[in-house]
Amino acid sequence: MNVVYEVTTLVVIVLGLAIVFGFLGVMNLAHGEFIAIGAYTAYACQARGWPYLTAIPAACLVCGALALLVERVLIRPLYQRPFDTMLATWGLSLLLRKTVELVYGGGYKSLVVPLSGSVSVLGAPFPAYRVLLIVLSLAGTSVLVVWYRRSPTGARIKAMVGNPELAQAVGLRTGRLARNTFVVGTCLAGLAGVMVAPLTPVQPYMGLDYILKAFFVLVVGGLGSAVGLVSGAGLIGGVESAMSAIVDRTWGYSTVLLIAIVFLWLRPRGIFARV
Amino acid sequence: MTMTPTRRQFLRASAAVAAWAGAPAFVRDARAAGEFRIGMFYAIAGPAAGLFGPTQKACAELAVDEINAKGGILGRKIVLSFANGDGPVAEASKAAVRMMLEEKVDFFLGSHNSAVREALVGTIKAKVPYVYTPIYEGGECGANTYVLADTPQQQMETALPWLAKKTGFKRVYMIGNDYVWPQVTNKQAKRIIEAGGGTVIGEEYVPLGAPNKFEEAVTRIKGAKPDLVLITLVGADNVNFNRTFAGFGLDKETPRLSSLLEENTLLGIGAESSKGLYGCMSYYANIESPENTAFKAAYKAKYGDKAPILALIGVDCYSGVKFIQAVVTRAKGTQAAKVGEAARGLSFDTPTGRMTMNNRHVDKNMYLAECRATEFQVVETFKNVKSGQTCA
Repeated sequence: MNVVYEVTTLVVIVLGLAIVFGFLGVMNLAHGEFIAIGAYTAYACQARGWPYLTAIPAACLVCGALALLVERVLIRPLYQRPFDTMLATWGLSLLLRKTVELVYGGGYKSLVVPLSGSVSVLGAPFPAYRVLLIVLSLAGTSVLVVWYRRSPTGARIKAMVGNPELAQAVGLRTGRLARNTFVVGTCLAGLAGVMVAPLTPVQPYMGLDYILKAFFVLVVGGLGSAVGLVSGAGLIGGVESAMSAIVDRTWGYSTVLLIAIVFLWLRPRGIFARV
Repeated sequence: MTMTPTRRQFLRASAAVAAWAGAPAFVRDARAAGEFRIGMFYAIAGPAAGLFGPTQKACAELAVDEINAKGGILGRKIVLSFANGDGPVAEASKAAVRMMLEEKVDFFLGSHNSAVREALVGTIKAKVPYVYTPIYEGGECGANTYVLADTPQQQMETALPWLAKKTGFKRVYMIGNDYVWPQVTNKQAKRIIEAGGGTVIGEEYVPLGAPNKFEEAVTRIKGAKPDLVLITLVGADNVNFNRTFAGFGLDKETPRLSSLLEENTLLGIGAESSKGLYGCMSYYANIESPENTAFKAAYKAKYGDKAPILALIGVDCYSGVKFIQAVVTRAKGTQAAKVGEAARGLSFDTPTGRMTMNNRHVDKNMYLAECRATEFQVVETFKNVKSGQTCA
């Protein structure tokens, strides 16, 4: 059950990053900070006494608005310049982190878990909120995958990724499409933040904790395919969780690092490479 | 800005006078009428900076204000110089050298981790007295180095017997971060637990500074069914573990003792995850004593309601400045031999209560606190607990 939990939360966290990187080729190093902003939004909602569900639209709104601005100012001038984008978003991540620290201070914030109690899963009690997270993550990811495969927008994105010039020539507004993709990816980060906020210490540096493992998942899984994403998250999260259960955390990390190195070396495009 | 050349000229002139008089007494003595400079290392930038830095600085400055209002140390006004104690070890060493050569600090004060402390002891080489203040593993006997920190003996020899009496625990599970402080603390704890007829049924360490998750550890603990969990995790790991622990419902059956549990960490753990959680340290903001009440009133008067939250790490810097005042006043200077002599048996007042220095560590009051939501309630006070250290 712990393995399932670790893998599904990892999928949600990586999803937004995978969309932005896989489709737009934008390596957003500030992705973790958007997760943190989502978590702080949840904290702000709860501190005002609003029901936890209000945090979901609120986080989308906050992250979406920020993403619009960031896309316009930072990302758009730098498309097709991956290294510059990385530098720019790295700077952005520092800026966001410090801004959060300025507003909320450096201390830990804690949120009340919206769903307490535990449910019995295969005979063993497991915290209810975690079960809910697993279910929501699975549902959300599947909906997104199906939507991408079936909807016209999904087809347009595919066209844009496959051949931007041609897509533009047949009348697709790739600029707007790319912007929307970026905003959606960033909103997903915010949502991931809302979801994990009640389980972890909410602090300005929390984004850093997630971003590294998210990169490993992308390395292992490869870019731009849902199967790759899920298998990457499965491998990284599963191995880490299993090793931690069998031996200890240190072994969990070492194995994950080893896997990442082996993949970068032998299969730099991941298990399921798009091209 | 214009002060600097004036001071330099003054120094040069004084040194010249001293040299001319043929006395080998140095610049330091010649500055007796000038300022008393303390080089303070605290969390300016680094993982602990957001959490502890503001309190450390605010507390140190409060102590300086109070002492300066009463005429300073030996008639000299205290001035603080700051350097980062939460960054790379080499940078701290460099800062210490600069402070000694350029700023000519009279005393060092440090509230930071042990790696930085060891580097500073090696860099300062006993040329300037150095007081180390937070919580640590014990064993620092460097020359001209003085320690106000809580030691594992002070924490464990008080808390464990008390909990044994209250809960009758036999089986203890230990979890901590993988570095020297948790390991040494657990070694001390193991000795006390075994002497009391208990056993340690599990001991595990997770990497420091990694984004740890604790689902597996909590599952393991659940399977092992201990009577007590001893936690030497720090910061975010401590928060994370305790939230997971309660999330899995273990808080209702198994009490926990956490070695570094201060106000910030407890706020992170939150009200619904803190049931059955104990801590034992020399300071909690909730201590009810005349010293602490006066301290808190002064703190509030200076910084108002938006003041950084009070906790052991931060208040230790206030105590550090008070120690410097007491020891330098008694030694009538900062020469190593005189300070060492003056420190022996020196008593001084801090928000924790009266501390007495022996073996270059302090005997002090320890408080056992039980968490009530996000507040500490002191359930037992241990007076003048010995540090358990044996420095010559």
